[in-house]
Amino acid sequence: MSPVTRIAREEWRLWMRSKVVVAAALIVATLLAATTLLTINRIAAEQSERLEQQIAAEKTFFAQPDRHPHRMVHYGHYAFRPPPPLAMFEPGVDAVTGQSIFLEGHRQNTAMFADTKAAADLGGFAALTPASLYQLLLPLLLIVLGHALFLRERESGTLAVMLAQGQSGTKLAAGKALALLTVITIFMIPLVAVAVYSTSLGESGLAAFSLVGGYFVYLCVWGAIVLAASIILKQRAVSLGVLIFAWLFAALVVPRFAINASSAMVDAPGKIESDLVMLAEQRKLGDGHNAADPAFQRLQAEVLEQYEVETIEELPINWRGVVASYSEAELTELLNGYAEKRMNLEAAQSRIFDFFGLASPTIAISSASRTLSGTDLATHHRFLRESETLRFDFVQSLNEVHAEELDYAIDMNRNAGPEASRRARVNAEAWQVLDEFRFVPDSAGERTSRAMMSMGTLTFWLLLAVAFVFISARRVRL
Amino acid sequence: MLRNIVRETSFLAKDRGAIFWLTLAFALSVVAVSFGVTEVREQRETIATLIKEDAADRANALQGQEEWGSAAYYAFHLTYAPPSDFAFAAMGQRDSSPWKHRVRMLALEGQIHESDTRNADFGLVGRFDFAFLAASVAPLLLILLLYDLRASERTARRHDLLVATVGSPTQLWLPRALVRVGLLALLLLTPLWIAALIESSSAGTLLQATAIVIGSLLIWWLIVELVSRIDAAPSILLTTLIGIWLALAIVVPALSKAAIEASNPVPDGGEILLLQRETVNDAWDLPKEDTMIPFVEEHPELADYAVIDGPWAWKWYYAFQHVGDQKAAPLVKQYREGRLSRDRQAGLVSLLSPTSFVERAFEKLANTDAASMVAYEDAVREFHAQLRAFHYPLMFPEKPYDANLLSSLPVYKPPS
Repeated sequence: MSPVTRIAREEWRLWMRSKVVVAAALIVATLLAATTLLTINRIAAEQSERLEQQIAAEKTFFAQPDRHPHRMVHYGHYAFRPPPPLAMFEPGVDAVTGQSIFLEGHRQNTAMFADTKAAADLGGFAALTPASLYQLLLPLLLIVLGHALFLRERESGTLAVMLAQGQSGTKLAAGKALALLTVITIFMIPLVAVAVYSTSLGESGLAAFSLVGGYFVYLCVWGAIVLAASIILKQRAVSLGVLIFAWLFAALVVPRFAINASSAMVDAPGKIESDLVMLAEQRKLGDGHNAADPAFQRLQAEVLEQYEVETIEELPINWRGVVASYSEAELTELLNGYAEKRMNLEAAQSRIFDFFGLASPTIAISSASRTLSGTDLATHHRFLRESETLRFDFVQSLNEVHAEELDYAIDMNRNAGPEASRRARVNAEAWQVLDEFRFVPDSAGERTSRAMMSMGTLTFWLLLAVAFVFISARRVRL
Repeated sequence: MLRNIVRETSFLAKDRGAIFWLTLAFALSVVAVSFGVTEVREQRETIATLIKEDAADRANALQGQEEWGSAAYYAFHLTYAPPSDFAFAAMGQRDSSPWKHRVRMLALEGQIHESDTRNADFGLVGRFDFAFLAASVAPLLLILLLYDLRASERTARRHDLLVATVGSPTQLWLPRALVRVGLLALLLLTPLWIAALIESSSAGTLLQATAIVIGSLLIWWLIVELVSRIDAAPSILLTTLIGIWLALAIVVPALSKAAIEASNPVPDGGEILLLQRETVNDAWDLPKEDTMIPFVEEHPELADYAVIDGPWAWKWYYAFQHVGDQKAAPLVKQYREGRLSRDRQAGLVSLLSPTSFVERAFEKLANTDAASMVAYEDAVREFHAQLRAFHYPLMFPEKPYDANLLSSLPVYKPPS
């Protein structure tokens, strides 16, 4: 047995004898197991529920009776975002954003009914997830286990003996590092199990194991910091105090500070604010309901010329449908412009937040974790964009039906009585224009490349911490 | 006693560790309140801009309208909950629940659940506000300041001598700890007081906030005091204390939250929306009476004007919008009551966790707790009712359109 493994084994023997260490490890392990099982169950339930709701929404849409096509534009449709498989480890922003959105003509709605709105409010840490345990609690466990890792030898006088026997400080540190590494490896088991399970649910191995790798690096960063503190500092209590301060700073203070800073640095106006600006522009475009609006005069001239007729009554297509389709396209372009601007500002805020990863590895891992799991802000934005495409497509398809399958004269006469209004309907078969919508996470390649910066930051932290351990271990004197 | 305190203060001045923690507490407090004040100002500015833009937009929308129905259709009204004069200390639910809407006379359930909230990351991670500092970080700082009072003397081999020389141990440990706790409280609270002056918060609120901070520090002091009587190495004491902090700040709240939410189910929001939508949409194809009869049941004074002859009338349109809300009302009530009872129970359970208690107490003082967000939604509902009460007596008897009357449209007043 090499000296390094012997040192590591000795460390383990001491840990197993310490009641505090065993108790702490058992508590963390129990919490981890319980939270993981609860979260897996919750997410599985949500996933099947959302999928059912999506299918039900499509069925009711298809099942609508014969109607005026514009009624269906306002009847609308729903888009649901089922949580991705890895959400059972990292639910991410899903709880805050709401996961369903109502889609209708002329409007872009927000996602509604976020879980947090109806949640029991018990302060900042009450929403425990497996990911938050890995981010917050495991570093603390490493601190409890390792703050005196090296120091112990110094305190008990064994350091002098070992150095005198010709063991170098580096070798000693390597043995201690090995001991911590085995602890980290053992605590990676629940995450590995979740990762394997998620691949059985269709998650890609690349994303799942990048997530495992990310957390492994993160815990190693903490392990290295703990080891370095135990080498450099001369008193147990001081080492523990300093490490707890580092944890307090990295895990509690900096992430929230980063949120304050990104909110103060980039002002992202809310939807109502940007909508008000937009509404002023929208009025210039004219109202899609009113085909006689002057803004449509030019369109009218063009369409009349195209079909070589004199009046809209002579057109082979329904003028009102043409107008609805034209104004929906114009309005959507405008709405999308503002929505993109808003999302870009939010993305800029998130970039500033990620940048603080250089001050706290906890920020780096939490960003990487959300991104790799497909529960980050960018995925929510993609959901908004895709549901908008779904909205625009079905609205325009209905407008096309309006233009081509409903006679203009009948349409104009629709309010003349029950019979006239019955005639101004189209066959329900036309509702099949709605596309099936199944929101899926980004491809694993996409997610891993988006997580590059955070993973890079984590690697940087690891290199820095390991170099620090190495340098301080080489300098070990009595 | 005073002499003891003076002595301990001069000892403290030489304790670099203690000075570091105290300085840190002060710096964090300054950061927390200044971000809070900036954010609150920004929100007030946003609201001021919105009020102006909203009025302009409404004036524009009402121009050229010729019917009551279309005037009501095109006029949106801003509703909002302004941040209170103490919101800078606890942003609470304002990051995850909406505090501004633009509503019109259509079915309210289709509008009120819109959530114009900020960046989702904000709600997820949370802000570094004073409430968080006082609830979660301050106890840790207190632990770091106090855990080795006795143990460090033991390590320095002075403990027994010290205890033997002073008359009673309370003369020694009490002033020593008191100086630290007192200074910590003072350094945490001073920035809060200054910010409260700037924001002109009410004295009562500030007094309560001060009492909460001091009370929570006293409780944590008691915990530290009890633990540090154990004759163990300082690192074991610190580990134990951090364990207690974890249990009280994380484990108890997380378990209670899960239990409360499981025992108080709220209806799925999607169901409310779906029911309301289906009702409104079905109404188009149903006989007019199917809408007007349930409508008149709630508005008997309009019974004389509730017969619709033609295929289309604005009053029928608004009637079925309201009937959609009426249909969804039981679910909405369940949702609202579910939220409130979750909040009530969370309030009870928070007595078990000082961190949850402090955070909730601050949110309550700042009107940023769940109950305040529900109160805002109630105010929006009340305003929507006023809007209908304004339009119905004009629209139903089909009084001739008079744009001048619109100058007395109800104006939204935020909940106070």
